[in-house]
Amino acid sequence: MSRPRACVATGVAAGLAAHLGWPVLVVRAAFVVASFAAGAGVLLYVWLWALTPWEAGEARPSRSAPVAWLLVSAAAVSLLAAAATSSLLALDPLAVDAVDGGSEALGSWLFAVFAGVGLAVASGAWATFIDRPEPERGPRHELTIRLVATVLLVVTAAALVLGPTAAWYPAPTFAAALAAVLGIGLVYAPTLVTAWRELTEERTKRIREEQRSEIAAHLHDSVLQTLALIQNRAGATTEVARIARAQERELRDWLFDGEAPADSDLGTDLRDFAAALEIDYPVTIDVVAVGSSSERASGEVAAAAREAMLNAARHAGGEVSVYVEATPDSVEVFVRDRGDGFDLVDVPSDRLGVRQSIIGRMRRAGGTGEVRPGAGGIGTEVRLRFPAERVGGAGPAGIIGTEGSRG
Amino acid sequence: MADTTGADTTAATSVRVVIVDDHSIFRSGLKADLDASIEVVGEAHDVESAVAAVTDAAPDVVLLDVHLPGVGVPAGTSGGAEVIRRAAASVPGTRFLALSVSDKAEDVVGVIRAGARGYITKGSSGADVSRAVHAVASGDAVFSPKLAGFVLDAFGAAVGETAAASDELDRLSAREQEVMRLIARGYAYKEVAAALFISTKTVESHVSAVLRKLQLSSRHELTAWANARRLL
Repeated sequence: MSRPRACVATGVAAGLAAHLGWPVLVVRAAFVVASFAAGAGVLLYVWLWALTPWEAGEARPSRSAPVAWLLVSAAAVSLLAAAATSSLLALDPLAVDAVDGGSEALGSWLFAVFAGVGLAVASGAWATFIDRPEPERGPRHELTIRLVATVLLVVTAAALVLGPTAAWYPAPTFAAALAAVLGIGLVYAPTLVTAWRELTEERTKRIREEQRSEIAAHLHDSVLQTLALIQNRAGATTEVARIARAQERELRDWLFDGEAPADSDLGTDLRDFAAALEIDYPVTIDVVAVGSSSERASGEVAAAAREAMLNAARHAGGEVSVYVEATPDSVEVFVRDRGDGFDLVDVPSDRLGVRQSIIGRMRRAGGTGEVRPGAGGIGTEVRLRFPAERVGGAGPAGIIGTEGSRG
Repeated sequence: MADTTGADTTAATSVRVVIVDDHSIFRSGLKADLDASIEVVGEAHDVESAVAAVTDAAPDVVLLDVHLPGVGVPAGTSGGAEVIRRAAASVPGTRFLALSVSDKAEDVVGVIRAGARGYITKGSSGADVSRAVHAVASGDAVFSPKLAGFVLDAFGAAVGETAAASDELDRLSAREQEVMRLIARGYAYKEVAAALFISTKTVESHVSAVLRKLQLSSRHELTAWANARRLL
């Protein structure tokens, strides 16, 4: 059994009806009838409400009935009834006493007062805890409910103290007035609880942040220095240096990026890819990104750039420079290595890597790709250019993405 | 390290350096790794000892750790920048080269704006550091690809901002942008010169001009971007 997320008040009746295969109205009627048996229906309802989970789903539960308003109205009715009873009591206190109906009338009067106070408190609690996450009810909903409940309770307390019952039944009246005053406090208690909770969370967060920056400062002075020293002493492309570099990068990301989500623009994506390559190949890759690119990491430029970086790492090794520049007109990526270099003509035609997955891919996507010797004839430089109007555009990515052979 | 695009190690004269770093292991490691043409005339481990060592020895180049402990270093600035601020006036002939493990742009830009002639990472090999020391000693600026990328970004080169007059401090000239782009692509000064058909000296003067703009410009991006994005 579960409660539907779009419900009237709590979803208990609807959930139970769905579970039993009964009409909802019958279930509701059963609850009402059972309530006359010493409140069994109410108890069962509350018990089911507390223990039945929401049905599976992501949607925020929404309630069609204005429960807080119903509660506050019920409180008003109950308190009015109490006022009426009290005037009856006051009319002829001695006569009431004489026929021994006094305790009964007094009892129902007290019950009405306490019920009214309880309902008013409940409406405030409902507005704060249950209605608050529902923006449809408006920002002032919670405040209005609480204000109405407060007015009700203040009037009640004043009527009790100044009214006629105070003279005849001082002790019960005092208890009722006290309950009304306490009720006012309880109406605002949820707000205080929420505010306190938020304050505590805020403080925890700040402490955690402070701790993190302290750790960062400490590690910066010790571990990062040591990792730098290891890279320095071990030579840039040895395995030890690569491991140290990867560790340094990981630590740095953790220390300084904090909880900021990693965005997947082109520069970030290529930087991540470079980090992965550095672990697998004897290579150090410097990625420099300029301008903010709207090019997505999933785009064709990124795929071609990754292919070029993989080629450089695999065949050239050593130091590789990657430069990404996003201007309003275009996105350009340069991948430069200092390996032995190669001539495209010498590459056997069965090796599809460069031709297909770099140059061909760029051409099909509407950009240009070029492979040429690096500056001074050292190594290789791959240049990719993609005009801005095609950036992020829907190229036939699905087909190309699977076809390019790696290598 | 190829990204330290310094001049060649052809300088025959010996360069006197002071190494400032709070880690003695790093100091001794670096000392052992430096070229024979570099003479270490002093070492220091914090701001106070660094200022004293630099004023005493008056070296050609100070290899300066960006993160340096010291008393009275104002908040928001690094110990390295503070050393330059305190010592630079008394030793006008000394040039500062920042050494950093940090990728944080605010640290590196901070120390460069304080007057350093360039920055290299601590992971660099002894040969690279030596090359950079010689470059700085002969008056050149040492730009890594990352610093060049940051400069292009911070001066708005990617969105097409170009200086109209050569003395404009807040934007780069078209030529300076070309030079910075090539350095960001991993080109050494020599390779930049060949690609642009200009002399290495001209490349060096462009780089020095950019360094000057980086130090003097009041573009808010220089500090704002550095803080927000840690591009270096």
